[in-house]
Amino acid sequence: MANYNIDAKKNMTYDAIVIGSGISGGWAAKELCEGGLKTLVLERGRIVEHVIDYPTMNNDPWDLELRGALGPEDLKKHPIGARAGFVGANNEHFYANDLENPYTEVKPFLWVRGHQMGGRSMLWGKQCYRWSDLDFAANATDGHGVDWPIRYKDIEEWYTYVEKFAGISGQALGLPQLPDSHFLPPMELNCVEKDIKSRIEKEFPGRVMTIGRVAHLTEPLNGRGQCQFRNRCDRGCPYGAYFSSNAVTLPAANATGNLTIRPYSIVNSLIYDEEKGKATGVRIIDAETNEHMEYYAKIIFCNASALSTTQILMNSTSGRFENGLGNDSGELGHNLMDHTYRVGAMGKIEGYEDKYYKGRRPNGIYIPRYVNIDEKTKTDKFVRGFGYQGGGGRANWGAGANQEDFGADFKDGLMKPGPWEFFITGFAECLPYHENQVTLDKENVDKWGQPTLAIDCEFKENEKAINRQIKADAVEMLEKAGVKDIVGFDNEHEPGYGIHEMGTARMGRDPKTSVLNATNQIHAVKNVFITDGACMTSSSCVNPSLTYMALTARAANHAISELKKKNL
Amino acid sequence: MQFQNSKRKTYRIMDRRTALKKTALAAGSAALVPSLFSLLQSCQQQARLSWEPIFLTIDQAELVSTLADTLLPKTETPGALDMKVDMFIDMVFAKLFDKTAQDAMIAEMNEFDALCAEKFGGKFAELDAQDRKEFLKQQESVSPKYNGKVWGTAVGVQEPVGFYRTFKSLALWGYFSSEEIGKNVLNYDPIPGKYLGCIPLQDVGNSWSL
Repeated sequence: MANYNIDAKKNMTYDAIVIGSGISGGWAAKELCEGGLKTLVLERGRIVEHVIDYPTMNNDPWDLELRGALGPEDLKKHPIGARAGFVGANNEHFYANDLENPYTEVKPFLWVRGHQMGGRSMLWGKQCYRWSDLDFAANATDGHGVDWPIRYKDIEEWYTYVEKFAGISGQALGLPQLPDSHFLPPMELNCVEKDIKSRIEKEFPGRVMTIGRVAHLTEPLNGRGQCQFRNRCDRGCPYGAYFSSNAVTLPAANATGNLTIRPYSIVNSLIYDEEKGKATGVRIIDAETNEHMEYYAKIIFCNASALSTTQILMNSTSGRFENGLGNDSGELGHNLMDHTYRVGAMGKIEGYEDKYYKGRRPNGIYIPRYVNIDEKTKTDKFVRGFGYQGGGGRANWGAGANQEDFGADFKDGLMKPGPWEFFITGFAECLPYHENQVTLDKENVDKWGQPTLAIDCEFKENEKAINRQIKADAVEMLEKAGVKDIVGFDNEHEPGYGIHEMGTARMGRDPKTSVLNATNQIHAVKNVFITDGACMTSSSCVNPSLTYMALTARAANHAISELKKKNL
Repeated sequence: MQFQNSKRKTYRIMDRRTALKKTALAAGSAALVPSLFSLLQSCQQQARLSWEPIFLTIDQAELVSTLADTLLPKTETPGALDMKVDMFIDMVFAKLFDKTAQDAMIAEMNEFDALCAEKFGGKFAELDAQDRKEFLKQQESVSPKYNGKVWGTAVGVQEPVGFYRTFKSLALWGYFSSEEIGKNVLNYDPIPGKYLGCIPLQDVGNSWSL
């Protein structure tokens, strides 16, 4: 801990408080600290120092008794994480204990959490795509939800700003629906991906396949090393090659001398001062001692993750805000969104038996949205659109289980790479429905006596219609690309599965129908900023984290400027 | 290095049918003192295995060993038993499976052996090599298969694949995740350093292990 100031007790008052240290909280901390503000970051979990606290980063399968599988005792702590399918012995310590953090699934909803310094920035998929005006204008265009109070031109420079510091690798394409980032060199496609790319682009004019745009360094940046292609990202990267708060933003914040980070600090609620018309601080519960404490600041950034931020605001009641801080519109908790995925197609490729690759690329291919991007591509089956992620590679020994064979030749054959396989899986934009919502459940409290969340959310006909096309198009593209033994699939999973939960405290132009303004401030409480997934007004079909980063940097710099002008 | 091929005792295939006959004779000949009988049987069985199961009974362990050996025999490269795959599977049953999964697995193992006895006149471990192969060929043709996976999760609804294919999958896991195979038989490349998307297979040879 020597590197971080965690002694929050000697000072209860700061210039700024940041709730949460994940992707958006880390950016808020960096920007506010670099802007000269004494900043307290409240993290509900433990300290995770870059490299020092990555105990499993170099494990080989045989280093663990169960070779990386999670035993039943550990698995019991992760019923939700396990449903998502990503929890194992090497990353279990970065997934929250689901038993200690219950919520109610009014309808099935997967809420995967990471309660430690760095949050889910330790675990994320790292895919980074800019939004376009197709996305920012979507609600206004088709009438679902309310209009975003910003357009691409308002955020463009902030995308560039965060990309230059985070490090995003990818291929520039000049597509209007998927603006190019400030790119580091792209990762390479393998032989089969190149082949399928050329066939799809030839057979389907207007469709493009490219390497994924990812927050991995393909060349060194600011003292961080480049990706070594180990693909052990979710254990923590010793090279700091992928973007996490722990490797990138929090060390930068710390370098200013303005950062204090207090671990085990569960924010219970914000303190609202009716006379000042501002929030003056936060009430916290120490997760270990159960001690209740208060911290004070001029501005407060909420970055607890979409649903946790909304939970805190709902729990922050006062005479002025009986239904939760900033909830004049009644929209707090509503318009919850996610992306559908695990719908697409997979199959085998004949040929290329004499070709292979080196390295485990933590990235795949991307097929940007091609439907409903202009009049020519408009469909009457649904509004909005979808993109695909996927990739190709050669089967390994794991494929042996299905082979109708055994014995000496079978075993020796498995030493060689198997056939090439390829898959794509769609990510569909989900509409903001008022009735997809979270509410505070005061009957069921957590181990700290706090109300829990009840989540009532479902995909509806538009999402299902998009998924039908995702599957049909995926099968068709693979057929035309010469893929064999094609299996189309739609796992029809519950929302939350995409781990892109967002909305519930949306930005908007009108305080009567939204919670936040164009600079992520609560309309009626301007010194409270919400820049995590809660702020989202619509969901686009691309991964959201890059947009959280840009919105956060933009809002933090607005906050600093407003503070200087004494407007907050 | 954990691979100590020479130190593993040769697996002794007991003459189970003879043993059964003797037991039957003994059972028929006298009122038994159960504890003495169990002790005797246990000693006999212990001698048949070269390792001590932590979860399985001796009978079940024999099935696991013989099945793993038939699936992945020793060739120029080590076999499943060289890699202690049978001991690994016993440990997986003990430590990875919860009670429900353990009970189901035991029941399926018993069914597997019962079917084997019905078709070939003895438990799997009692059969000669040819009969073992014949039975496994039948199992291959009737066992459901695993669905494809995307990022570790099966696509579609996975129907249960039954004991044989589950076991085969465990045996492959235990074998190919062992240190000897991972480091010295397959190509071990813990820190590739770069990604090359299209290179001649002959420059690599066997698969990458990680």
